[in-house]
Amino acid sequence: MARYWLSNPWSLDPFPDVGELRRRMEEVFDRVGGGSTGVARAGVHPPVNLYETGDSYVLTAELPGLRVEDIEISVERDRLTLRGERKIEHPQDASLHRVERRAGAFRRTVQLPVEVDGEKVEAVYRNGVLTLRIPKAPEHQPRRITVQGS
Amino acid sequence: MASETTIQPGRELRPQEKQAIEREGVRPGPVFRPDVDIVEQKDAFVVTADLPGVDDRHVDVRLEKGLLTIDATLATEPDSAWTPIYAEYRFGGFQREFRLSEAIDADQIEARMVDGVLEVRLPKRSQHRPRQINVRAG
Repeated sequence: MARYWLSNPWSLDPFPDVGELRRRMEEVFDRVGGGSTGVARAGVHPPVNLYETGDSYVLTAELPGLRVEDIEISVERDRLTLRGERKIEHPQDASLHRVERRAGAFRRTVQLPVEVDGEKVEAVYRNGVLTLRIPKAPEHQPRRITVQGS
Repeated sequence: MASETTIQPGRELRPQEKQAIEREGVRPGPVFRPDVDIVEQKDAFVVTADLPGVDDRHVDVRLEKGLLTIDATLATEPDSAWTPIYAEYRFGGFQREFRLSEAIDADQIEARMVDGVLEVRLPKRSQHRPRQINVRAG
């Protein structure tokens, strides 16, 4: 819930964002131009990146301001699910001038290319970024074949 | 209610894409505009910014001529040995500027960085501070 002193929050904003007007203009042009920026921005959809390292996958997710205990990771065969909730509490007597950071529960499921070993997933949460190292199932691990000389 | 999305590598999806800002090149690479909350309490304003991947040594908070600048670079980048197979976010710094009202006590500003979230506390200048007014003899 945002509370403002005046009906137009921009006119008496104690912290005008430099460049705000230009950005708002650009947003208008985006809409007029039929750009694909009309994606709903409500809720939390942490962005993830996925990498391959030979014997495992590495998944990173931007999750600033979460508590480790509010992140849940589960793996089933070749699907990894990330669940969590981001809580943002503002003091009761505070006036909210600008609220862009999103709070709420999320669930993201990643379909991995091959089956993985869910027992051996390693998770590190640092600086608001979650990094998961997910070993591939043994049958998908790269194998070294020794070539014997004659 | 949980937001729910399933991703499949190779299929395009647009989650919360960071907003890149154009800036005359001081540093190489993209610079993003962080999400910010600004809250006013009785005695202070609190500016909170999401800076995932940034630690306390990689963020610069500056106040100059009434302009509060947040400038951050990533503490770590992905291992170059990793082969990217799916990407929803890019790597880069963060920057944002706010024009401050005069009611801030610039000497008392405090900032801290926890789990990729920057919190800057800007105390209001006390209105009840006694002011010494020099009276000169006529």
